[in-house]
Amino acid sequence: MPARRWIPYAFLAPALLGLVIFRFTPICLSLVGSFFGQSIRGDSIFVGVKNYAELLGDPAFWSAVTTTLIFNLIINPFQVVCALALAMLVRRPARFIDVFRASFLLPMTVSIALTSIIWSIMLDPTLGPVNGFLRWAGLPPQPFFRSADQALTTLILVATWKGAGYWMVFLLAGLLAIPKELDESASIDGANAWQRFFGVTLPLMKRPLAFVLVADTAANFLLFAPVYIVTNGGPNGATQLLMFEAYQAAFAFLNHGRSLAISTIILVIILVIALFELRLFRSEDETVA
Amino acid sequence: MRRRALAILRYVALVLIATVLLLPIYWLIMSSFRPAGDIFRYAGQFGLETLVPQRLTLENYQQIFAASFPRALFNSLFVCLATVALGVLVNSMAGFAFAVFDFPFKKALFVAVLLSFMMPFESIVIPLYTLMRTLRWTDTYAALILPEVAGGLIIFLFRQFFLGIPKEIYEAARIDGASWWRIYLQMTLPLSGPTIATASLMMFIHQWDAFFWPLVATSSADLAVVQVAIARNMTLEQANWGALFASASTAVIVAAIPFFILQRSYVRVVAVQADK
Amino acid sequence: MSSLSRRQLLKTGLAGGLALATPHVARAQTTLKVVWMGWPDNQVLPLMAEFEKRNPSIKLAVERMPFTQIFQALEVRLNGRTPDPDIYIVDSPLTASYAARGHLMELDALIDKSRFAPAGIGAASYQGKIYSAPFGSSMQVLYFNRSLFGAAGVEPPSADVAKRWTWEQVVEAGRKLAKPAENLWGFTFEQQERPYQLLPLGQSLGGVALSPDGLKASGFIDGPAFVEGFGFMQKLYTEAKISPPGQFDTALTPELFGSGKCAMLLGGTFIFDTLKSKFPNLDFAVAPHPYFARGKPVTPTGAWHFGVNPRSTQKEAVAQFVRDMLSYDMNVLWFKLRPYVPTLNAVWQKENATFSSDMWKIAQSEMQNTALARPATPGFREYEDILRVTLRDMQSGGNVKDMLTAAAQKIDREIAKYKG
Repeated sequence: MPARRWIPYAFLAPALLGLVIFRFTPICLSLVGSFFGQSIRGDSIFVGVKNYAELLGDPAFWSAVTTTLIFNLIINPFQVVCALALAMLVRRPARFIDVFRASFLLPMTVSIALTSIIWSIMLDPTLGPVNGFLRWAGLPPQPFFRSADQALTTLILVATWKGAGYWMVFLLAGLLAIPKELDESASIDGANAWQRFFGVTLPLMKRPLAFVLVADTAANFLLFAPVYIVTNGGPNGATQLLMFEAYQAAFAFLNHGRSLAISTIILVIILVIALFELRLFRSEDETVA
Repeated sequence: MRRRALAILRYVALVLIATVLLLPIYWLIMSSFRPAGDIFRYAGQFGLETLVPQRLTLENYQQIFAASFPRALFNSLFVCLATVALGVLVNSMAGFAFAVFDFPFKKALFVAVLLSFMMPFESIVIPLYTLMRTLRWTDTYAALILPEVAGGLIIFLFRQFFLGIPKEIYEAARIDGASWWRIYLQMTLPLSGPTIATASLMMFIHQWDAFFWPLVATSSADLAVVQVAIARNMTLEQANWGALFASASTAVIVAAIPFFILQRSYVRVVAVQADK
Repeated sequence: MSSLSRRQLLKTGLAGGLALATPHVARAQTTLKVVWMGWPDNQVLPLMAEFEKRNPSIKLAVERMPFTQIFQALEVRLNGRTPDPDIYIVDSPLTASYAARGHLMELDALIDKSRFAPAGIGAASYQGKIYSAPFGSSMQVLYFNRSLFGAAGVEPPSADVAKRWTWEQVVEAGRKLAKPAENLWGFTFEQQERPYQLLPLGQSLGGVALSPDGLKASGFIDGPAFVEGFGFMQKLYTEAKISPPGQFDTALTPELFGSGKCAMLLGGTFIFDTLKSKFPNLDFAVAPHPYFARGKPVTPTGAWHFGVNPRSTQKEAVAQFVRDMLSYDMNVLWFKLRPYVPTLNAVWQKENATFSSDMWKIAQSEMQNTALARPATPGFREYEDILRVTLRDMQSGGNVKDMLTAAAQKIDREIAKYKG
């Protein structure tokens, strides 16, 4: 819309100021820092692309990339579908629907660190109530986080336990904003439930879905607490996610240059995927990036 | 007949999902009322004792409330509310700019805004900490609040919502001579109840969960936040499980209050709007 | 409102501002910033209060960081190379790491070595100089559940170090006590994945965990002694099945023992009081750390020291802190608050009543004869982290030699940066 030249920037200014000072500057410093190494006395030494070259030649790094991509390929659509399903379930009024809505939201109030601790105890092979229940029901107890086969799946489920209600909030707002008449007239026209969903509901949900998918993608690529607290990347590297590699490089191996290089790579991956997701869900009137 | 079957199916699904989502929280809260020796006594089995405490006690809660936990609760609430108050204003303004105007560098700025929440925090914590030292903000509320006010994700959220408001209604106001600030304040914001509610929720949760940054940026006990206070109950040699669960349960319940308030109100608002 | 003249307002403002800006000249006070472990209030604050009482001109601003992220938060703070904090807690094997990177002040002038056990001084030193204050140590003993032993008809181990059990005896007893199908176990380590707990297995067979200069792991940690020692550990989970796998939370393993789900626990002297108070109905006793029959007994040791920031601007105050904290009285106070194994000889000598129990008699003997600190290397964080993951992964099976060789190579690659 037409406006005086400085008006948009005036609206942007406070947020931009905050982002420049507290995000862009540290991020730029980190990007630059990825081309440096540190001596043990703390001096920065310019090493060019050495950190990146070392990473690209390290099979452990590529293994982490693969694990991370598989993890995200599964968890992102899975969480969005779960969130949408939950939103659809609580959309229409019903008795006690308020109670159900509230109960779906409750996991949000538990921090991801606490979630990891509680679930690691709940799923503990020896002390966990879940295995206690399985034993009581005559079923074999499961290793969950302690088995290379089950660890990643368990991680996905635990992250979804916390995330589904969270993302449901945005999708529910989107669903509730759809005027009832549209659905009703489609119904009168003879459309069945599936046709109404794909023909009426989904197209009107593009913007909330775009937001949830991009935000969830970023959140899942940056997921860290459960790996740090429960699995430590294992068993046998089954949950060795890139974010954890970056963390280990910084705080265990005290190699800040390498950590920053990994973080930069993570940033680029997330951005590329996010831009792709935005295109996928673009509405007509958007000048999307 | 089919409608009834679907309705029953719907309830079954709702109950099952609610159970899975609530069970760990129930276990957490229930364990906080157990004496220390009982917390894991019935673990690994399944029976009435596992689900329902045999002996109830308030000693865990007495312990944490006699110590510095109430202060931590206060600190976190203050930081959360301040962040939300400032953040809603600042980020909705930016979202408004992206949704309503066209201006040079718009695409690049928007990509930069997206970028801002895609960088792992651990990699920017050191430069951020240095910045705090330079500004002399270490060990202040400012260090906890101000860096988190402007958020790329929240700007994105507002932008998505504002894009859905038809531009025509602005045109009418502009013809009447309204300034853009008035339009934003008196037209856009009032229509954005649910989005403001969700943005508030996101920022509140983000600050409520904050752990590593407060740990690095502040040192005095007066500024401890709730997650740090909870985590102190775990050390290498032992964990005070009772205090851990009691403080965690309290944190969950306190955080849940703004939730329930917000979710009831915005559902009503949105439902009313959709009927317009 | 009566109009205050502008001049009056200015005057008041100026006076107020001056009052706020002028420091209290009442008494010259220094404040020391101390980063301590997040132990409970009532176990840390009395120590600090006692110091302040003895030194009225020094105030302590104590920050208690949670264990989950204390090392990482300290790294961020130290990375800035500022005078903050003045004093910080140092896990004894990290002494070399912090010292090599210039984060610790030399303390030789402030510490009289003869007052301490040699193991304590050893754990505090790097390249021949003392860099951290030996504030306490640790020792492991074998806890066992007397009622479970009695019910299974198994002869329990003796508290006499001369009659120390071998690992083979532990397994034999464990097999009779464990019922994995009923979720009842025979034996568990307190720290199932940490080198602190598990290195003695290989060391008991004569293994050396790292090269003497602390810079090479290949040929040492992947040598035959550790292959056999860790292989034995692996079998506890895979073959003998007397240990519950996957218990990596060190605060949960004592719960297993305390609730009667595990008959034996190899754990620190530290948890003795916790077990007594949390599980009053538990009938348990202690025995010495097991060893391999064809090897020699080795026990782990080392604990929480504290260090001084070399960039601290309060040189006199920190010197006073070091001297005071290592005094006899403060050591006794610390022991009463948190019963770590004392490093100060005088404490052992004078507090006879406290150290007359079975457990303390064992601890004293071990500290003198079998205690071996973790390898001294500036790359200890790297070493420990890589080894932890490997030890954890071993529980599910896998070729121990291959896993150790891979770990050694990774360690060598990471600690190469400390050469020269």
